[in-house]
Amino acid sequence: MNVRAVLRRLGDLAPVLTCLALIVFFASASPTFRTWDNVVNILQQNSVLAIMAVGVTFVLLCAEIDLSIAAVATFSGVLTAFLYVQVGTWFPGMPPVLRETLPMLAVIPATTALGLVNGFGTAWLGLPSFMITLAMWLITQGLALSITKGTPIFEIPVVSESLGTGTIGLIATMRPDGKETFLLRIPHIFLVAVVVLAVGFVVLRYTRFGRAVYMVGGNSEAARLAGINVKAVRAACLTICGFTAGLAGILLIGRTSSAQAEVPKDMLIDCISAVVLGGTSLFGGKGGVANTVVGLLTLGVLHNGLNHVKINMYIKESVGGIILLAALLLNVTMAKMKSAE
Amino acid sequence: MTTNGTLLELRGISKSFGGVKALDRVDFELRRGEVHGLVGENGAGKSTLMKVLAGVHPRYEGAMFLRGQPVRLASPRSGKLHGIGMIYQELSSIGPLTVAENLFLGDQPRTRFGMIKWNEMFRRGKAHLKTLDMTIDVRTPLEQLPLGLQQLIEIARVVYSGAEILIMDEPTSALSPPEVQRLFDIVRTLKRQGKSIIFISHFLDDVLAICDRVTVLRNGRNVATLDASEVSKHDLVGHMLGAGGVGLGEGYEQAMALRSNAAARPVLEVVNAGRGHRLIDISFVVHEAEILGLYGVMGSGHSLIGECLYGLRRFDTGTAILDGEPLGRIRPTTAKAQGIAYVAPDRTVSLFVGCEVFKNVTVAFLKQLVSFPLRTRREIALADRMVERLKIRTPSSRTLVQNLSGGNQQKVALARWLAHPIRLLILNEPTRGMDVGAKQEVMDIVKQLKQQNVAVLLISSEPETVLANSDRILVVSKGKIAAEFANTTVGKDELMRCA
Repeated sequence: MNVRAVLRRLGDLAPVLTCLALIVFFASASPTFRTWDNVVNILQQNSVLAIMAVGVTFVLLCAEIDLSIAAVATFSGVLTAFLYVQVGTWFPGMPPVLRETLPMLAVIPATTALGLVNGFGTAWLGLPSFMITLAMWLITQGLALSITKGTPIFEIPVVSESLGTGTIGLIATMRPDGKETFLLRIPHIFLVAVVVLAVGFVVLRYTRFGRAVYMVGGNSEAARLAGINVKAVRAACLTICGFTAGLAGILLIGRTSSAQAEVPKDMLIDCISAVVLGGTSLFGGKGGVANTVVGLLTLGVLHNGLNHVKINMYIKESVGGIILLAALLLNVTMAKMKSAE
Repeated sequence: MTTNGTLLELRGISKSFGGVKALDRVDFELRRGEVHGLVGENGAGKSTLMKVLAGVHPRYEGAMFLRGQPVRLASPRSGKLHGIGMIYQELSSIGPLTVAENLFLGDQPRTRFGMIKWNEMFRRGKAHLKTLDMTIDVRTPLEQLPLGLQQLIEIARVVYSGAEILIMDEPTSALSPPEVQRLFDIVRTLKRQGKSIIFISHFLDDVLAICDRVTVLRNGRNVATLDASEVSKHDLVGHMLGAGGVGLGEGYEQAMALRSNAAARPVLEVVNAGRGHRLIDISFVVHEAEILGLYGVMGSGHSLIGECLYGLRRFDTGTAILDGEPLGRIRPTTAKAQGIAYVAPDRTVSLFVGCEVFKNVTVAFLKQLVSFPLRTRREIALADRMVERLKIRTPSSRTLVQNLSGGNQQKVALARWLAHPIRLLILNEPTRGMDVGAKQEVMDIVKQLKQQNVAVLLISSEPETVLANSDRILVVSKGKIAAEFANTTVGKDELMRCA
């Protein structure tokens, strides 16, 4: 293999190397970082983000943006809890299965429809996705506030709670007292994230729609000339993003065991930066779910790792920002080396 | 300084793109006050050589000497600082700005406080254009001028920025005959002023009319540098094509006998179609297994007809009927589904240059070609067959389209419509900027399609292309069909007289 081929490989691998470097660094710097519990912790902390990031990957690939995801996820969580409570009071005798599932069956289509509104406005009305999703952010944030009126809802569906905080063990062992216990516990929420990531991966890589997303993002005029329905593809990507934000919201209330109208700090920015950090282009056409996984891990390890090393807590965020910047620079440089002939 | 002194010398320039060798030890010499033609087939390396010269490709092998001094251009900016100005095929001016603003782009006269001195800018702009014998209102937004004038403004801008060497890439391809004469006047004025000009063109008549010397590139090599006064067009074509290809050049000069079969089944009927004042009362029929040539000069509306038939724009009036069914409102998606294929004039617009060849080939009929899950191996196998059938010169189907030459890119753009049966193929300027050999290869493929009963609408501003390939010819002039040639013998001059 010649130098050029090696460089090309490295260009693709830059985000992976960055991620590995961070893991090695934190693992050697902190004994508390390199524990199974902490691994579970990282997976759990980032699973909600991962689900949303799948939708964002679609949106960025077709060269659009969705700023409403965090607000839509929050709204989804609040609406789920609200409906759960309301269904309980309206129909006290309702079987638990229905009471659990009805709110979700209503909320997921609702947020998907919000995504469709974003998509319709972007594709057919010609509004910039930046602006219409910004408006959607404000709208859904206001709706969530008007539901809770500032008071968190603590009564949330059992399914949410279980998915949000539950774990399953991989290896069963007997404790000396005869009780069964499990080693290598995997959080439920992580499994949901894996499924969503896997579906996203398959759709983008192995379906015609996925190919169309890349084509539209790569050169939308060429896609139009090739007879691809560019508007429908754009709208579909934003709709998918609404769906994943809705799903993420239902799990989010499970993680926090309450539904609050405050949009989690940094959720939007973390989500977009994870996708970009993995190597997906903000300008469309390049990247994918595999990249997003790497980006999520990098960002997750970074956020988590900084809590395990001795660092001035006031300056911590800046340090995180600097590492992020360095990682991005590395990605860009490697990608340039790759494309240089 | 002598007028015949060497201004620029290139020695042994080589350059490759992703394994494709674009330039192979090219030597080149440019004298002061010289108009030097650069010709060659597509992919011969003309554009690459000029980009090296302009500093666009900083990585190359070989040496460059400017006024006897070795130089190495690391960026377009350093090319500019050394007095090398490039006038691209695609204009790089800013349409909404005035002529004067474009002339002074990035360097407007300013007051101490950084405010633009508008009056001074207009005055100096007017004066500068006068030195080139141009009288144009410098306050007009550039985009309101005809394309030919815009190009002249572009040249004026590059001259103003201090360029001693002007590189013109296909300067006449978009111009009408009077505009070409106007360009030549400016070139002669520049020459008198001691500027050197490199004139890249496929229009050999133009090259021979204006150039002092001509360099011919073939497969990335300099095969000849000749005095323009001592060489014929026939010789030039011979050098461009190398041994064996000389015959190709001649056919284009002769009048062609058209034989059409009016008894064939009509595939597309256009009835009284119109669009504003650009297209007026257009009616015609394209039959099965027929290539209908649609000839016109740039801006005559012939190209617009093609765009409307694929749904990129819309006819305001009239109807289009495909196989007896009125088409109604046409969109690219529905047009494709009904068997209409469209090859756009601009390759950079119609291709995914950052994607592999195979993705560009399968994109149009992905639905018909592969099912879930997409397997790239199947797509590549399919693309490999196309590469072979169309003689696309590429290392593999996995090569990125941006690494192919223009002619080969155009073949890729055509290849996507061959992957599945179609009824009507609309070729909009399919051979623009291509050399004789590649044109021939593309048109041979189109003729194969014709054998399979496809109706072909061949839209072109090149009379040679229309003449050499059509069964019947319509001439479009100022938005109307001005003439039809069927079952007769027609020459280039006749076509051009009708346009």
